[in-house]
Amino acid sequence: MSAHANPSPRTAPALRAVIRAIGLIGLGGIAIAVGLADVIARAPVDAIGVGPSLAPPSQAFPFGTDLLGRDMFSETLHALAITLGDAIVGALVAVALGGIFGFVAARLPWRIGDGLRVVAGILAAVPALLLAILFVGLTARGFAPVAAGLAAAPFAFARAFDRARLLGASHYAQYARASGIRSATLLRRDLAYEVRDNFLSTVTRALAAVAITLATLSFFGFGAVPPARDLGLLIASARAGFLDAWWTAACPAFTLMLLILCARLAAGLDEGERP
Amino acid sequence: MWRFALWQVGHFVLALVGAGLLAAAVSAFAITNATQGMAAFSRAFASRAAAFGTGHFGYSAIVAQSSSDLVLKGLAPTLTLILWGALIALIVGAPLGIVFGRGPARRALAPLIQIVAATPVFCVGLGLIWLAVHYAHWPASAHGDAGAALGLLPAILQRNGGAIASGFRLLLVPALIVGASGAASLQLSLRRAAAEAGDAPYRQGLKLMGLSTLEIERVYVAPQVIAGVLSNAGEIVLALISAAAIAEWVFDWPGDAVLFVKSVALRDWNVAALVLLLFAVIKLIADLAGALAARALAEPERDA
Repeated sequence: MSAHANPSPRTAPALRAVIRAIGLIGLGGIAIAVGLADVIARAPVDAIGVGPSLAPPSQAFPFGTDLLGRDMFSETLHALAITLGDAIVGALVAVALGGIFGFVAARLPWRIGDGLRVVAGILAAVPALLLAILFVGLTARGFAPVAAGLAAAPFAFARAFDRARLLGASHYAQYARASGIRSATLLRRDLAYEVRDNFLSTVTRALAAVAITLATLSFFGFGAVPPARDLGLLIASARAGFLDAWWTAACPAFTLMLLILCARLAAGLDEGERP
Repeated sequence: MWRFALWQVGHFVLALVGAGLLAAAVSAFAITNATQGMAAFSRAFASRAAAFGTGHFGYSAIVAQSSSDLVLKGLAPTLTLILWGALIALIVGAPLGIVFGRGPARRALAPLIQIVAATPVFCVGLGLIWLAVHYAHWPASAHGDAGAALGLLPAILQRNGGAIASGFRLLLVPALIVGASGAASLQLSLRRAAAEAGDAPYRQGLKLMGLSTLEIERVYVAPQVIAGVLSNAGEIVLALISAAAIAEWVFDWPGDAVLFVKSVALRDWNVAALVLLLFAVIKLIADLAGALAARALAEPERDA
């Protein structure tokens, strides 16, 4: 997954910066909405009978109500808070074990890094969702955020490893070694620049990947534990009746899409690129 | 070429052994658990790894059948979904990649593709089911029976209209879910390969030698672009497998991905391990075949 192996189709740097800014502003807006969820939401979590059963979206209930008369707007907002919180935990796990450890592993002595790269390649050969399901199955549903982060880590590891190797073979690195600068010093320098230049995009990229995995985990019944409902579980619980009451699934789905879209834009991903 | 092929095969074998060890580690949980400590797990792992080496994948703890029998039973529905999905991905993704590769079309449609790419596959699946039920009155679920879909290809060959219609109704929605995911991956590979070929310095040189643009595109650029896509075959196959897993769950399709999910939920580790190994092997084979085909295609270009 090196930069040379997969050259990005050209997008003007200015346009790319604007797109990333839009994504970051969107994520900021979502964070504010989540922070003020208890103020914005008209009903507390899981409040039954707030409105009539299965009322379609209207001025009174912008996202409609579900079978038990719960306000879908309030439920979606509370679920978004859980999804975002869990996704941040998972993203940090993916960045630590994938992005940062992958970068450091590329410079480890005695070909230890090569061995770790092979292991990451093997784990990355399994769909991240199935890997996350396996981790949850081996532990508990409460570990779903960590499991989603662990499942995203091999791909992030491979990308960071290949990038670090590329930097290690660059001209300036060769000059530095020739002038007697130690490998550890060079690694510290590269890592500092990597964090400065790419940390935000790496985190938001991981956030997008983990949010998708977490929501799908919950949809499969391996994620959030009821009564706490994240967006995936909210959509899963609407599955039985969504053919007649589309809003019960569509509104949480669009909210999830918005979160992932903002994270993708903030990460500067190309159209269709895997986060 | 031979040296490259040997290197790739060696890499494939190493990855295959690694995937086998990973599956053996999962399978070891069938005969031990975390409370028994690391030594017990190590013994279980060694025993399962040795059994995997001889082709013995153990028995299901739930239905007391051979794991390989259960996985083989689900293989045909899963492969059917992946292959039809790949066909849709090719039909949709290739033109998308070519049309949106450059120029104003890409700029105009970039936001739309970003939105589509941000949609989780299970949401796409639910949306397609809603459309199929409301506008075509098609089934919303396979109800664990994909027989009609498996018979679609023979029905097409025998020109059996009724069987084609019922197979098509059952297969189209889940195959579209898989195909949409594959198309996104394929168009990206194509666009990247086209971008790389577009920057190649040899184009200018060939023009100076008097070759027409069409000739350059056909003889030099097209093989390079196809080679670029082929070298990314593993990623495309992984996207198809991931989407197939979700399509199976959403559509109650009796494939191996659903078998994996149910096996993990029921702690049936022998079956889960074998499905994991199967998917890893499919991806690794796609990696190997893609790398070799890409190299074979790019070889004449390098010689020239």
